[in-house]
Amino acid sequence: MNDMAIWTEKLVKVYPGVRAVDGLSLNVPRGVAYGFLGRNGAGKTSTIRILLGLARPTEGRATVLGFSVGREQVAILERTAFVSESKTLYGDLTPRELVRFTRGFYPNWSDQAVTKYSRLFEIPMDRPFAKLSQGNRTKVYLLLALSQRADLLVLDEPGMGLDPVVVDEFLRVLVEDVIGEGRTVFISSHQLADVEQIADWVGLIDHGRLLLEARLDDIKSQFRWVTVAGNALPPTKSPEVLLVASEGDFCKYLVKKDAEAFAAELSGQGATVAQVSPLGLREIFLALVRKEEPCTSGNVGEIAEAVSLPLS
Amino acid sequence: MLLHVNPASGVPTYLQIETQVKHYIAAGALVPGDALPSVRKLAADLRISTNTVARAYQNLERDGVLRTVPGGRTYVAENPGSFLKSERIRRLRPYATQIAVEGTQLRLEPREIMELVQQELDALEEVNERYGDLDRKAR
Repeated sequence: MNDMAIWTEKLVKVYPGVRAVDGLSLNVPRGVAYGFLGRNGAGKTSTIRILLGLARPTEGRATVLGFSVGREQVAILERTAFVSESKTLYGDLTPRELVRFTRGFYPNWSDQAVTKYSRLFEIPMDRPFAKLSQGNRTKVYLLLALSQRADLLVLDEPGMGLDPVVVDEFLRVLVEDVIGEGRTVFISSHQLADVEQIADWVGLIDHGRLLLEARLDDIKSQFRWVTVAGNALPPTKSPEVLLVASEGDFCKYLVKKDAEAFAAELSGQGATVAQVSPLGLREIFLALVRKEEPCTSGNVGEIAEAVSLPLS
Repeated sequence: MLLHVNPASGVPTYLQIETQVKHYIAAGALVPGDALPSVRKLAADLRISTNTVARAYQNLERDGVLRTVPGGRTYVAENPGSFLKSERIRRLRPYATQIAVEGTQLRLEPREIMELVQQELDALEEVNERYGDLDRKAR
């Protein structure tokens, strides 16, 4: 039992020939917007399927809202709303009929919310689901999920097919009606811009493993590129250096904290520090996932374990 | 109050909010007693997490810039300068250090660094006077 919205410990999911999830340990606090980021095939959807009881983990443990995944799945499903990546519902039914069908399953269901969001998202409530555009199908999913007024909202690639105006409205709804109410949003996505806008926390996964989990603002206030002139540099063993990359006549160190001190140390060794610059989520994502071409000397850009910043 | 945040920049969003609020106060656009939007309203307007806005407000409150009354409304504090001078200097020192370090690293002369700070102070003064004029005209 714990107080996290989502907690996993060394979660593993093996499908024939692939370790889709490979020792994943997540800590998603309650009441936050958490961006679960990774490339296609990084293991995001596999993780979500385990959490919702749609797949059984090969190894490891997990809880959602304090309930044990697997053993207490019904309690989890009652309190969790889910928008899946593949938008398949009963095609013959209209959104209005889908609402009637869905509401009985959820103790917190709000008809007021149905009215509000169907207007806000301009959903054609009386046209069969199968005849809706992709964008409208996504909106129906969001409507059904939001109206559950669940403690945890899990969104797997929610932005599919939505135009920018609807995305913007949806972000407002998430802030006002979900996070503002102390409920938790878990967004799995590779749409970095939308996630960066709204997320408090991010978890970055690749090849089924967690590369980074921290508060987004802490990442931004501490992560720095330290750019140094020259190509052959003394190897550094600093634990704060996540990776080293070369770019033309410069070497770049991705430093997770105390970048100024690190830069001063390099200067002390005779290096010319050209720049210490902050970086956005997109750059961090690209750097960590791509593991840029390492320098000839210096420690190679291997990431030993997930980075986690202390709570402040 | 017009706040803009750029989530894609490398600057933490809560810091962007803090800096802007302080700037509005320094420039006289916000005066003691002015109400700020609620955490939820500002977060919804900016499409950022309520936690981020709450963090900014808490920091500003801790710094004596804002105050929250029972019931939850937040105002510009009556006298942001009411802390002891030594305390105010203590709070400013890290920025002074940063200016000194960065300026030196960029190979600027001490005189040039001082001039830069002076220019910023002058700019604030000018904005402040303009707001003062507007206020007098309004009356």
